[in-house]
Amino acid sequence: METNNWSLRLKRRGSRCFPVSACIGIVFIALTYCGCGRTVTRVSIPVKVQSEIDVSRYSAFAVLPFVQSTRVSRDEVLPQRIGEEIASILRRGLARQKHFEVVSTQETTRLLTGETVAEDWLADIEHLSQLGKYFDVKAVITGNYRFDTDSRPRRYYGERYSVQRQRYVMNYQDYMQKTYFLTLRILIIDVGTEKVIWDESYRRGTAEAHTLGSFIFSQAGPQENTLRELSRRALAEFTRRISPHYEREDRYLVQ
Amino acid sequence: MLKQNVSVFISAVTLLTLLGCAPVRDRTRVSDYNRFAIKAAQAELWNEAIFRWQQVVAMEPNNAKAHNNLGVAYEALGKTDDAIAAYQRATKLAPGNQYYRLNYRRCRIHVRRRGIPEDGDEQLEFAPEEAW
Repeated sequence: METNNWSLRLKRRGSRCFPVSACIGIVFIALTYCGCGRTVTRVSIPVKVQSEIDVSRYSAFAVLPFVQSTRVSRDEVLPQRIGEEIASILRRGLARQKHFEVVSTQETTRLLTGETVAEDWLADIEHLSQLGKYFDVKAVITGNYRFDTDSRPRRYYGERYSVQRQRYVMNYQDYMQKTYFLTLRILIIDVGTEKVIWDESYRRGTAEAHTLGSFIFSQAGPQENTLRELSRRALAEFTRRISPHYEREDRYLVQ
Repeated sequence: MLKQNVSVFISAVTLLTLLGCAPVRDRTRVSDYNRFAIKAAQAELWNEAIFRWQQVVAMEPNNAKAHNNLGVAYEALGKTDDAIAAYQRATKLAPGNQYYRLNYRRCRIHVRRRGIPEDGDEQLEFAPEEAW
């Protein structure tokens, strides 16, 4: 008698469960089919990005030394001849591009003997164009740089394990954050028309964390490497923009 | 009589099955080709992918997916004119598909940046994604 009751209950439960499970199955199958039918695959393809200047016209450049901006604060200790170093980094970067020819560093130094490199250069476009003709190039690249540092105390919050309290406790540490900024203004001057065809500024920065001792040393120590690294980054962007190159871009393939 | 009816029934069923299966088989072949081509494209074997999608287009000239995918492959190889034509065909066949329009739009942006005076400029003005 008891067995019969159990079998009846099971039958009832089974009859109730069947439509639900069938519905779930149908919905699952339908969703699977719908999902499979609209599968989209994202692929990245190489896309050619053109130069922002007329490469066919401006193919030969003379890179003149960069000049220090007069707006630099007096307490900055700037390395000597950094302007020439920036110019030579740019020369190397441009020489790697197959579309450009660049006057070598030795040739530039030889031809610029006797010239005074100063910030008033940048205002005298006519003079720069004459120099370009002298170099026998289509365009002249030059500019100025400004190197700033900004130091301020910072507090870092973290946690440390306290043995006495047997738990993590809030902890903080004071340090000096020194941030270096390089602002590089780059000009391209068309030698033929004596016009500025490119005038843009690139600002790059990097930060260092110092204790009081290391901060004092950093103030007195050389900053050439930081400056070189920042100018390399800024010039890489400039070179990328004026030379044709490939970038990756997404496209959608439909199954 | 009964035997004859059975044989007629069996032959009718076989004929119908074969007739019904033929498009299904073609369809499977097309989707297999497409799947294979996508794998080739993911491995950056663009020429192989183009070959497969061209076969799909030969089998089904109105297959919008194949035209779109073909456009992507052409663009990856720098054949911009062919890519534009393929994208145009895909968007014409399936104007509502956002992925076809997105691919086509991005390709057009590059063509315009390069400043190529392409013959499809007038057509582009009336392209479906203008209303997008």
